[in-house]
Amino acid sequence: MTDQTTPEIELSEAQASEFWTGKRKQRFWRSIQAILIVLAAFVMLVPIIWIFLASFKSHVEVYQLRLFFTPTLENYGTVFEEPYNLGAKLYNSTIVAFVTVAFAIPIATMAAYSFSRFRLKFETTILVVILATQFVPAVVIILPFFIMFRDLGLLDTRIGLIMVNLAIVMPFAIWMIKGFIDGIPMDTEEAAMVDGSSRLQVIKNIVLPMAAPGLVTASIFCFILAWNEFLFALFLTNRDAVTLPIGLALFRGEEGDLWNLLSAAGIIIMAPMFVLALAIRKYFVQGMTMGAVR
Amino acid sequence: MAEIRLKNLTKRWGDFIGVDDQSLDIHDEEFLVLLGPSGCGKTTTMRMIAGLEDPTAGEIWIGDRMVNDDLPKDRDVAMVFQNYGLYPHMTIYDNIAYPLKVRGTPKADIKPRVERAAEQVELTEFLHRKPKALSGGQRQRVALARAIVRTPKVFLMDEPLSNLDAKLRVTMRAELKHLSRALQITTVYVTHDQIEAMTLADRVAVMRHGIIQQLGTPDDIYNDPANMFVAGFIGSPAMNLINGSVQSGMFITTGGTKLVGIGGPDRESAILGVRADDMSVHDAGEGDIDVTIYAFENTGESTLLTVQWGKQRVIARGDRHLRKEQDDVVGIKLNPDHLYLFDPESGDRIRMGGA
Repeated sequence: MTDQTTPEIELSEAQASEFWTGKRKQRFWRSIQAILIVLAAFVMLVPIIWIFLASFKSHVEVYQLRLFFTPTLENYGTVFEEPYNLGAKLYNSTIVAFVTVAFAIPIATMAAYSFSRFRLKFETTILVVILATQFVPAVVIILPFFIMFRDLGLLDTRIGLIMVNLAIVMPFAIWMIKGFIDGIPMDTEEAAMVDGSSRLQVIKNIVLPMAAPGLVTASIFCFILAWNEFLFALFLTNRDAVTLPIGLALFRGEEGDLWNLLSAAGIIIMAPMFVLALAIRKYFVQGMTMGAVR
Repeated sequence: MAEIRLKNLTKRWGDFIGVDDQSLDIHDEEFLVLLGPSGCGKTTTMRMIAGLEDPTAGEIWIGDRMVNDDLPKDRDVAMVFQNYGLYPHMTIYDNIAYPLKVRGTPKADIKPRVERAAEQVELTEFLHRKPKALSGGQRQRVALARAIVRTPKVFLMDEPLSNLDAKLRVTMRAELKHLSRALQITTVYVTHDQIEAMTLADRVAVMRHGIIQQLGTPDDIYNDPANMFVAGFIGSPAMNLINGSVQSGMFITTGGTKLVGIGGPDRESAILGVRADDMSVHDAGEGDIDVTIYAFENTGESTLLTVQWGKQRVIARGDRHLRKEQDDVVGIKLNPDHLYLFDPESGDRIRMGGA
């Protein structure tokens, strides 16, 4: 017994020292990792922090790189007043983004389900072409859009913008949602069919609930795309249907760049993104990884 | 309660033939097993009965109704899938209740029926859980409960036990058998496991390459195989198939001069089939032939002797108390009542005169 126990202790000591070097090594890399993450976060966050601070500064203070200043909410009032009138733009952006998502997601879901579950003629071709439409630089097609919209009387209307945004977000939505539906086992759907469901009941009772994280992810992605869309809104609107990103341009005037006002408007544009991101962070990560794996 | 009739059923995908012009009558309340290796068309046949696959040609009758054009939901069948096909976003209760809910069963009826089904498969305490929180065997039972919660005309089971571990499989097999006797509903059961087929079936249809090789009771299939494929597929260890020829009533192995009397006309080449259980092990010189032991295995309930027989190896089963060593010489005696002769070209059984 004793003969056997002694070497065991030695062994465990050897293991222990190895264990500690291993742990120390691990700790070293952990800290390197942490430093890199902080660095990356810093690089990404600096402009946002700058804008955030600037939005509470007066016009004069913006140009002074001081960390301590008397914060003011004045900018947030000014941007909603004439001549900037950001409220109307906020309204336009909200309507355009929400209506775009409200139409895009149901239509994209139906398309994605069909692509995922039925074998169609030229299926791959169609799928690739759908995505390829987004590889065309927007600047190239903006003129035909302008002329078409002018003839149809859609220039400077929210409906026009919604249509353009739908064209932009649909391909991504279809591809994303298809990824999620592909991940739902066929067995589950077939079980539901044998259990007595029609195809529509299968979609309603089985597919939609199971694809919910994906639908949320796709909705948010589309919302962000529509919310931030700049180029088409710039060319196709001028007064009534102007959206927030275009509204930013208003603050470049004869007095130069009004950075304090620009910043306040910028924060107003970003705020919903932050709120959304926080609210659905869990779904978003789950959705992104699920789509990626399958 | 219904019988199933398949008439000249065919399924083709392009040039690939899944099921080739097969007809099959499944009796009311019968437990029929479709048995075969993967890709033999057994699952395709079942999926066509369920309506999940459209036949290329032929007719499917359930009871007195041709169901070819009926959607799965209108065929009044219940199916258990290999991967269970549970609804992961619903609780076990809702999983089991789904077939009732979706068919518009009155709410008051649903609860007692779900509880009864859960009781039958011993799941009562798990009803509030989600499938993710259950083990494989429990999930399998949920799938079963979902099938028996209604009283369908037909049960379809697609390799329901193949995802379970070996021990659980044996337990679930017995539960399935008990349940099917109690419910008395026509059942089609697909498996590649010949023991499941033997133990569960009233009748077995052995399939290969989309063709039913033999249809019969487990006894028929085991003791009277129609061809070499069925003979080799059923039984564990597999039936020994020995190459040789028949000369003046004696079977002579390709390797040499070993003789076994079987009768019948001369044949230049033939394959002799004999099960491990139909060979008895004796001391050297006391059997039909003497052979050398290649490997000796003790499985506990019996012993398996792999012996060198001419150029081939053959497995014989010995008494569980038998102890031999590798390279020992033993005598093997064949049971003349259970020898099978096959045509090596076609694989067809050659029926022997009196035997």
